[in-house]
Amino acid sequence: MSDALSSRLDFLRTTQNPDGGWGFFPGKQSWLEPTAYALMALHSDSASRLNFERGWKLMRSWQLPDGSWQPCAAVRKPHWTTALCVTLHCLYGVYDDRLRRGVAWLLDTSGIENRWKYRMAHFVSPSVVELDPSFKAWPWLPGCSSWIEPTAHALVALKKVYKAPLNIAVQDRIGMGEKMILERRCSDGGWNYGNRKVLGTDLPSYPETTALALLGLSGNPALDLSAPLAVALRQWKGTRSPLARAWLAVSLRSHALPVPPTAPRPFSSPDTMLAALEIIAANGGLA
Amino acid sequence: MNRRGFLQAGIAGIGAAHLGCGSQTPLPTGPPGRSAVAIFKAASYSVDLLDLMRRGAALCGLDVKGKRVLLKPNLVEFASNTAINTNVAVIAAALELFRGLGAAEVLIGEGPGHRRDAIGMAEEADYRAGIEKFDSLFTDLNRDDVSAHRGFADLPEIYLPNTAWRADLIVSLAKMKTHHWAGATLSMKNFFGLVPGSVYGWPKNQLHQLGIDRSIAELQRVFPRSFAIVDGIVGMEGNGPIQGVPKQSGVLVMGGDLVAVDSTCCRIMGIDPERLEYLRLTAERGHLRVEQIDQRAESIAAVRTDFALIESLKVLRLLKQT
Repeated sequence: MSDALSSRLDFLRTTQNPDGGWGFFPGKQSWLEPTAYALMALHSDSASRLNFERGWKLMRSWQLPDGSWQPCAAVRKPHWTTALCVTLHCLYGVYDDRLRRGVAWLLDTSGIENRWKYRMAHFVSPSVVELDPSFKAWPWLPGCSSWIEPTAHALVALKKVYKAPLNIAVQDRIGMGEKMILERRCSDGGWNYGNRKVLGTDLPSYPETTALALLGLSGNPALDLSAPLAVALRQWKGTRSPLARAWLAVSLRSHALPVPPTAPRPFSSPDTMLAALEIIAANGGLA
Repeated sequence: MNRRGFLQAGIAGIGAAHLGCGSQTPLPTGPPGRSAVAIFKAASYSVDLLDLMRRGAALCGLDVKGKRVLLKPNLVEFASNTAINTNVAVIAAALELFRGLGAAEVLIGEGPGHRRDAIGMAEEADYRAGIEKFDSLFTDLNRDDVSAHRGFADLPEIYLPNTAWRADLIVSLAKMKTHHWAGATLSMKNFFGLVPGSVYGWPKNQLHQLGIDRSIAELQRVFPRSFAIVDGIVGMEGNGPIQGVPKQSGVLVMGGDLVAVDSTCCRIMGIDPERLEYLRLTAERGHLRVEQIDQRAESIAAVRTDFALIESLKVLRLLKQT
């Protein structure tokens, strides 16, 4: 194990909160998102077994009666991070009722732009925000519109459900979600949060959301993603953002593409999510 | 109004009323008394901004001795060829101002609406290079701990960052820009960056679903202990708040009544503030009418420079000289 990877694992182990979760930063309240990534990062590390079990227990306890997960102890409402919990259950082969209820919530949740009144409005005035509202995808919160990042995470989760021994029909939503992501691609070849053109103006892509869009599209051999993957590689070389580089590395490795070699950066950031993502990337991504 | 709401308006004909063409409820008279707003000419970011801010603080009667102050710049996206974000020189001068006025603590916080990597964006915008020990002062409000506030528009509660709750005074260090949905983005719209992405996402689409104008008004209601310093030295006109064009407007605007500050900025930009829905919604709590505002230092007429407006917002143009 490299020193760079070892220092990140040490960081995660030593910053776990007493409740078993992780905050976005050390000493802060536990949130589901950094906790989920920390669990993905620590799972294959035998020295982190107890840390994993404590975090897993907390994550399981945050499921709500409707099958969704709440994002932290202070916020008791259904949240997009439910997709991360479904992915976690599949990664570790826990195919129980909690997982089934989480999958059911994901399948029952979609962005409101797919509803008839919004589709009608879009038909009347299509050029304000250019998008195809016919694709059912995923919002950050129920009752909101669909965006790239929650859709990408839902696709990762449902693709794992599809391969699991669960016999749940998820193919239609996977297909629709993929179409939504492809339809929202920016003119520069990547993706931003989910608006490619507003009021006739092309909007630029970002490296981190390009990475997530490609992660959501991974695992479908019918898609020719060579052009956007080339964009992602260019973004990986060009961005100075450690978070964007981490997501790009996770995504490129999930597509079985080598990330260009780089000098390992000494870990000095107090960012829990960043440390976890860098470990996930080093372990081969999320495919 | 959000993008979906805007589309709906295309059917319902609400759009015309939103932009001031339809019938509107009468303006509330606002609170008793008058509000002071200081306007300064500032030709560039090289002028002595701290001196201007000290004069503005005195003219507005600002007292922050012993208070915990949170500076909230507008850090949205970065592009080297335009003027999206509050300039670092304005933030650095404000930091010195509030320290010099005896604040117990001065922190900087922002929760960008589109991008996750707030520190990375601060790097791009030169905040880390231009402000000493920036990382130790800065909180990514998107990923802060949160607490609930009961009641927010149609929602039973809203979750907001503890760093903002703990502050005795939130200083909106806003950018003077047009906004293709709200008309203008100034000190109050800047409070969208107080809403945590960890709960509401990137973008904070829940605010759009509630209606941009309502959400601006609600945030102003939730955080009444505030002050504004608007960076209009180089603003943005046209298709703001991101795709617009830099506007050399050469002005700095300050005040403790954010309704009065924003309405003054609108008049400087050649926009009729009484036609902006969010200002009408907040007019019970602040002074919107020009006759209720004491303009200190420069007059509006001395600095007015009309910002270009996109076609759908041209109805907002302020015709008369103020």
